[in-house]
Amino acid sequence: METTYSQIKRISQLLSSKQISCTELTQKYLEKIHAENPVLNAYVKVTDDVALETAKAVDQRIQRGDHLLPLEGVPMTLKDNISTRNIETTCCSKILSGYTPIYDATVWELLQNQNTVLLGKTNMDEFAMGSSCETSCFGGAKNPHNTDYVAGGSSGGGASAVAGNLAAFALGSDTGGSIRQPASFCGIVGLKPTYGSVSRYGLIAYASSFDQIGPITTSVEDAALVYDAISLQDSMDSTCRGGSPASMTLMDDIKGMKIGIVKEYFAGIRDDVRAQIDQAIQVYESLGAQIVRLSMPEIKYGLPVYYILACAEASSNLGRYDGIRYGYKTAHYNDINEMVRKTRSEGFGEEVKHRILLGTYVLSAGYYDAYYKKAQNLRGMIVRSFQNTFQNCDVILAPTVPMTAFQSGSAVKDPVETYQTDLCTVPVNIAGLPAVSIPCGFDSKGLPVGLQIIGNSFCEATILNAAYQYEAATRTETFQAVNMGVQL
Amino acid sequence: MSITREDILQIATLAKLSVDESELEKLTKDMSEMISFADTISAVSTEASDFDNINGLINVMREDVVEESFDRDEILRNAENQDEGYFLVKKRS
Amino acid sequence: MKYELVSGLETHVELSTNTKIFCSCTTEFGGEQNTHCCPICIGLPGTLPKLNEKVVDYAIMAGLATNCEISPISKMDRKNYCYPDLPKAYQISQYDMPLCKNGYIELSNGRKIGITRIHIEEDAGKLIHQRGNTYVDYNRGGVPLIEIVSEPDIRSVEEAREYVEKLQMIMRYIGVSDCKMQEGSLRCDVNISLRPVGQEEFGTRTEIKNMNSFTYMEKAMRYEISRQADLLDSGEAITQETLRYLVEEDRTESMRGKEDANDYRYFREPDLVTIEVSQEKIDYFRSILPELPDPKRHRYVEELGLPETDAAMLVKYRKIAEYFEAACQEVSNPKVVANCIIGQVFRRVENETEKEAFQISIPPQYLRDLVLLLDQGKIKMNLLKSTLEKMLDTGKPASELISESDMGGIDEDTLHQLCSEAIANNPNAVADYLGGKEKALKSLLGHVMKNSRGRADAVEAEKLLIQLANETK
Repeated sequence: METTYSQIKRISQLLSSKQISCTELTQKYLEKIHAENPVLNAYVKVTDDVALETAKAVDQRIQRGDHLLPLEGVPMTLKDNISTRNIETTCCSKILSGYTPIYDATVWELLQNQNTVLLGKTNMDEFAMGSSCETSCFGGAKNPHNTDYVAGGSSGGGASAVAGNLAAFALGSDTGGSIRQPASFCGIVGLKPTYGSVSRYGLIAYASSFDQIGPITTSVEDAALVYDAISLQDSMDSTCRGGSPASMTLMDDIKGMKIGIVKEYFAGIRDDVRAQIDQAIQVYESLGAQIVRLSMPEIKYGLPVYYILACAEASSNLGRYDGIRYGYKTAHYNDINEMVRKTRSEGFGEEVKHRILLGTYVLSAGYYDAYYKKAQNLRGMIVRSFQNTFQNCDVILAPTVPMTAFQSGSAVKDPVETYQTDLCTVPVNIAGLPAVSIPCGFDSKGLPVGLQIIGNSFCEATILNAAYQYEAATRTETFQAVNMGVQL
Repeated sequence: MSITREDILQIATLAKLSVDESELEKLTKDMSEMISFADTISAVSTEASDFDNINGLINVMREDVVEESFDRDEILRNAENQDEGYFLVKKRS
Repeated sequence: MKYELVSGLETHVELSTNTKIFCSCTTEFGGEQNTHCCPICIGLPGTLPKLNEKVVDYAIMAGLATNCEISPISKMDRKNYCYPDLPKAYQISQYDMPLCKNGYIELSNGRKIGITRIHIEEDAGKLIHQRGNTYVDYNRGGVPLIEIVSEPDIRSVEEAREYVEKLQMIMRYIGVSDCKMQEGSLRCDVNISLRPVGQEEFGTRTEIKNMNSFTYMEKAMRYEISRQADLLDSGEAITQETLRYLVEEDRTESMRGKEDANDYRYFREPDLVTIEVSQEKIDYFRSILPELPDPKRHRYVEELGLPETDAAMLVKYRKIAEYFEAACQEVSNPKVVANCIIGQVFRRVENETEKEAFQISIPPQYLRDLVLLLDQGKIKMNLLKSTLEKMLDTGKPASELISESDMGGIDEDTLHQLCSEAIANNPNAVADYLGGKEKALKSLLGHVMKNSRGRADAVEAEKLLIQLANETK
């Protein structure tokens, strides 16, 4: 009774059975991209040549009768903060305009080893700083469910591309929710892996102790397949020890699994979102899971802790953009100091400058103890709070976002209010834990709601198992708007 | 803690950003909001940090073995100005 | 008023690892600009540092050799400042948990100069300013450094010099750095303040940056001391500031304005993990540490009976000490070996670099074999010296340069005959000698030595010559 929702497996099967060649498949995707991207704005660069070249190599292997690798020939995209040799990588910032890396990110190297087909680089908030994709210097990506709405951020382009069938999967990055939130807004699956399970080498840093690369897919199984392919130990990233396989245990029974419901995650949640999450809880009960009601008061400090620490790291990570070695350089200046200041002021957008200034402030003499150090202490408290919670449950169920996608251009002007959308996603990044967002019905306006499943460190297999079982139990009812890839 | 225009200018200097007089007022307002948001944790009492690092790894190191460096053309490829193998910043432009 | 100097040093030592601290590029000195570079050491976006284990090992050795405690747990931090020679706009260094702390170095006057800490960090690239343009070369960027911070225990310019010389000697001995000041692999920042003699409290200090020669360091310190003394005498306050030393003008100058507000905003480097040093590792490095210059010098004096100054000369360079020790094997009087090295071998290695390398045409075993001939009474001192010269010229062992017949010198009759000939053939020299010119005697002795092909015993010959000359009166 193998009912798979896996696009990757389906594509792989079509290719190896020669029902379609990889070149034809790739061309179909490229045609669709060229037709629909002007509206969705999911891609900031389409790499037709690279894609077709790989497709040709895959076809040759199929002709020879070679056995296909799990992700071989699958058309996909990379977020524009993942370094690709000889392919412009800009973080959707003017300051990196024209920058073409001279090396490949480890994840891209791993995917190249499997002959995945790179369709292009996808849109994002500038330097991954934002929740709407609208701080991108290329303008925001649109939500395929309703193009008046944002795709979310920061990996909005990847989510828009995958939900709009412009790619079979995407790699995004998640610092405070940047994979899960757009996946939630676009009604698809987004996995933020455990910190240290996927190499960050080549991921242009926003906040180094939070950033993690992960997959955006249309099914849980695809998320597991991509995770298995990229979660390897890497000598180029000292903080990366790799993960353990998650795709083999998806179908395990979840009877008796203890699911924690932490009340603080539901503070300020919109009623129509809450209704969907409550239904999901019932589904889990019907699958035999045991619901445990818990409390984690420390969660309420998550947002300020996240913004203080992430901005502090960002202020340091973004110091290197000085116009000397790469990227944008100001046209007119009188001395080198002015050159650097003008380059940075002209090259960075407003949100990025805000965060650099905040980060500089919280690290500066006289304020370090009150902000940075205090936030670091609270980070420790939040880590311990999760450790205690996982003594009492196997996974935590929560909304991904306490709301649904907002209208383009409405991203609240007040920066602090915009930050509130990250309320339910940041705790996971603070504690370095894995979490997946999966589609969980729709709100009153017909926009997707996301269900977040959070696990203990390196327990990707557990959360994806739980996610898969929910998906299998509900997919036919809730999975309407997104179809199964390009029409063949 | 409240933040003044002078504070903003000083932080901007540290961050190598220039702030126009025209931006200064809005920036001070935005930053004040962010700072007061950050202040929400200042009243919380915490134990002295035993939080170390988000990854609990120790002693990840590499051996002292030379690998070939990159081609200089590659190293300089993305620089707007270069001269005789150096990155170049012209006096003025 | 009389002032006392209070000075502390921050010494940067480039470690002689094969590769840089955070990437696998070579650390070789020289090399065309930007050819020892990779995405990591030019700080391309998305790159991450990979710590070189050898750097940690070398720093531990440096700590042990300077009596430091080794921290069982330490970490790396970011020191943020924006300057074109620093491609990431932060230097990866160690802030509050250095690898080594609380050590000292003992000076010849018995004073101990405390070492606050030793930490590891990366070097910056090089900037060349020409006609207002700035040229950047990142070859040196990422070369590993240790920074050795002393306590403000130094009280004189001489102590400062000796402290740095000792550091240099120790680092070379343990093989962690070549410490070439002229190549910048050892450089110092000197903190200087004055206080009235007898006062406990420190005065306001200034810091002279980047001294890369002993001479300039001494000159800069002397200048700065007198500048501060003049200011204090006239009742003016010292400004705490960073200075550079202008060699041509022999004065210091404020560097203010270069890095306006210095606020380094240190925080833990999130891209690197905790460094743990086990007791086993510390014990291991302690066990492989070579005998250090001070105990070695002490041993030469106490056990080998060398004069203090000779011992000091021999221990200054590890290779020379090793050569000396190898040449002393089985020799009954090490002083002879020491004299040979200090007298004749040193004349052939004049500068510091040559002494450091100490490449000598003969292996220490040749010198030992030669000295053993003296020990066994087979040759006399003067033959030893002339043979050693020949050995150093040709690289041949003594056995190829002196025949059996040369050994044992010449008999009394032959010596008498040679001396008589010298007197008879050089009446002018004899007259000069008798007229009071002592030097003339040396010329006569020269003839005897020449005609005996160096075999004559010079002391005996001289006695005989004096006697024979007086007989001609």
